[in-house]
Amino acid sequence: MSPASSASTRGTGRPHFQEELAGLENATLEGIDLVLEQIDRSVEALLHQDVELASIVINDDDRIDGRYLEVHQGILSLLARQAPVAGDLRLVAALLHTIKHIERIGDQCVNVCKLLPLCGNDPPTVPDVLELVVRMGTLARSEVAQSKLAFASRDAGLAEDLVRQDREINTLQRDIFRRAIEIGEDPDVREWAMTMTLVARCFERIGDNAVDIGEQTAFVVTGLFREFSDSRGDGAA
Amino acid sequence: MTSDGSTPQTADMPSDELLDPQSSPIRRQTPGPAAAAADGSAKRQAASGKQAHSVHLEKLRAFYGTAEQVKGIDLDFHANQVTAIIGPSGCGKSTMIRCINRMHEEIPGAHAEGRVLLDDANIYDSGVDIVAVRRAIGMIFQKPNPFPTMSIFDNVAAGLRLSGVGRGDLHGKVEAALRGAGIWDEVKDRLGQPGIGLSGGQQQRVCIARSLAVDPEVLLMDEPCSALDPIATLKIEELIDELKQRVTIVIVTHNMQQAARVADRTAFMLSGDLVEVGPTQQIFTNPSDQRTEEYVTGKFG
Amino acid sequence: MSTPAAAPSSVLTAFAPSPARRRRDRRARAMIAGFTALALVPLVLIVYYLLEKGLSSWSGSFFTSDPTGASFFKNVSIGGIKSAILGTIEMVAIASLIAVPIGIGVAIWLVEYGRKSMFANIVRFFVDVLTGVPSIVFGLFIYITLVVTDLLGRGLAGYKGSFALTLLMLPVVIRSSEVILSLVPNSLRESALALGAPRWKVIFRIVLPTAIPGMVTGVLLAIARAAGETAPLLFTVGGANATTFSPGSQMNALPLQIYNDILSPTTSVINRAWGAALTLVVMILVLNLIARLISRRSRLA
Repeated sequence: MSPASSASTRGTGRPHFQEELAGLENATLEGIDLVLEQIDRSVEALLHQDVELASIVINDDDRIDGRYLEVHQGILSLLARQAPVAGDLRLVAALLHTIKHIERIGDQCVNVCKLLPLCGNDPPTVPDVLELVVRMGTLARSEVAQSKLAFASRDAGLAEDLVRQDREINTLQRDIFRRAIEIGEDPDVREWAMTMTLVARCFERIGDNAVDIGEQTAFVVTGLFREFSDSRGDGAA
Repeated sequence: MTSDGSTPQTADMPSDELLDPQSSPIRRQTPGPAAAAADGSAKRQAASGKQAHSVHLEKLRAFYGTAEQVKGIDLDFHANQVTAIIGPSGCGKSTMIRCINRMHEEIPGAHAEGRVLLDDANIYDSGVDIVAVRRAIGMIFQKPNPFPTMSIFDNVAAGLRLSGVGRGDLHGKVEAALRGAGIWDEVKDRLGQPGIGLSGGQQQRVCIARSLAVDPEVLLMDEPCSALDPIATLKIEELIDELKQRVTIVIVTHNMQQAARVADRTAFMLSGDLVEVGPTQQIFTNPSDQRTEEYVTGKFG
Repeated sequence: MSTPAAAPSSVLTAFAPSPARRRRDRRARAMIAGFTALALVPLVLIVYYLLEKGLSSWSGSFFTSDPTGASFFKNVSIGGIKSAILGTIEMVAIASLIAVPIGIGVAIWLVEYGRKSMFANIVRFFVDVLTGVPSIVFGLFIYITLVVTDLLGRGLAGYKGSFALTLLMLPVVIRSSEVILSLVPNSLRESALALGAPRWKVIFRIVLPTAIPGMVTGVLLAIARAAGETAPLLFTVGGANATTFSPGSQMNALPLQIYNDILSPTTSVINRAWGAALTLVVMILVLNLIARLISRRSRLA
């Protein structure tokens, strides 16, 4: 998804600078594609207790870290050489924040995948809890995808809509937590359920990061930074 | 008085002048029966030290013959603040600034319409003394131009001598002006040497001292740093930051980074119109007008 | 420059001029040198003749006695050119006293006030025409208006010759002063105006002092020209031999002296003419040198 749709403000001046800026935005948005892939794989691994897939996810996080460094360096260079102002300056600031959030999302995927082997090769799964967790993961994935769409098309309304989805994730997390408490006496099952609450927490954090990206989108569009209400919800911060 | 945008009084209230310590320095120079009373307010004004003086443009239009270069501008220059005027070449910013000290009409065939208010007095009123206007509203030009036949001392004193303003304590005033321009230490040992023997940046600061010597209320600067190297430019920018405590400054610049560094408020002009004016921080992070956005980000101009 | 046989051709040798071009170059240079020499020949001859025939007449009595023989000291039989020198000095001085102030005044008006107006352009046109008028016409004009009519006094007189010289000098002074004044950068006028100086002060305190060295040069050259002119004096002055200081009577002048003496049958008188010619050339040379020295101190052209 190219940011060409936001080129409505762009005239014909400074073509190299505009190319460079567009390149940084593309690199950042492609970073979102990378983490979407990572989320997909993490959910897949979770569903089938695929420890091998989990280790691929962990290794691949290097790509995301690399992307972060690349964008970070590119932004510093652009700031030093081109002195962007107004809308360009807000975009640059937003990209810097966004790539950081993307990197965090990547780290959360790694956390999820690191939790899997702890469950052992054949853990006792409770199907409805697993289903809730997988649903959280899927929701988080769609939130991240929507945040990318909102940013690329500079759609503040779409960005704000992320809050609604995030509330759902928060609700799911509370449900999982409650179920884990009531799971019963079997220590193996209890251990698995506890691990699932930790996984849920990772997905919840991914959702928060997606909302943060939405806030950056709103900042680029309006020039004002405000935290979307209700994006934090209850539960551990 | 008008620094927060409250509507200025209309110009014809001579009786208020007696009671009003902030009456415009222009009016205190116009001749007539108010002159004797005006002396009192002038003395009071001098005694009370620094005053805040603002400039207000009202429907200002400027013409070269029949060609309209500035097309009806309403603009406030807040007291003791630096306002920058930016815009592409030919947008009328230099023309506009020259209307403020009535230099525009020195060009054959050029004239201006509208009102330019210094505090509460319209400098375009009939009967206003142009010499008084230019004493109160000084100007620094793009190319440093110390008078070549004069020494540094004479250059700084030239303003006092030429405009006939009080010449008592000439040495004191020259020293104060050179200190105000931040160049006293560099030239104090060679005041008798010709003004053109200095570097470009020093010459420009001598010119600033020359304008400061007559104790103006407003200082207009038309791209004062374009002919200077970066270090000299930075020194002048620091100087502007200090000077704004005693004078209101209007600076025309084609260098947006300079406007961003130096100005409290920035106004953007395009083809003779005022497009947008606001706090500098806002103009450069979140301008309201699309044209401003395109100009400051370099999309055109 | 010989290149080694096996060396590859470099870019530089590829640009070396061909032998044919070098020959053409040399021929052109020889031709130009030849023309220069040709032009110098008469000049050299003039200087040679002047020195050879004129120096021999130079002596103490040559400069201190009149053609009549009367002298400061002992009277001599063949007189010198005292009255001619004094006459030239006096007549040119009177002419300068009139022409220079008027000429500079007109130049100031043209540059500072008339500028590009239609009337100013007409004035400029006429001044240009007058610079080309043959000097004898000025003499004739004064002859017709003052000598024949006895308007201001009877017959031929020194001051009438001065008037003719004035008419001659005026266009030259106007022209050269105008050029110098327009070379004064406008930025100086602007700064002075912006300080609050009235226009006349700008002209007299800023513009003129800057222009003075250049204008003095122009004036000296005009004086040098007037000193050497014969034709205007022919019908106006009369060429008396005795020294008089009263401009109301006929006077002597160097060009007149030469004119009268060269036709004489007496050799010594002819020699006196050469001596006078040499004196005149030396005077003009000295004026030119002074003009040059002053113009080097000028900060304009």
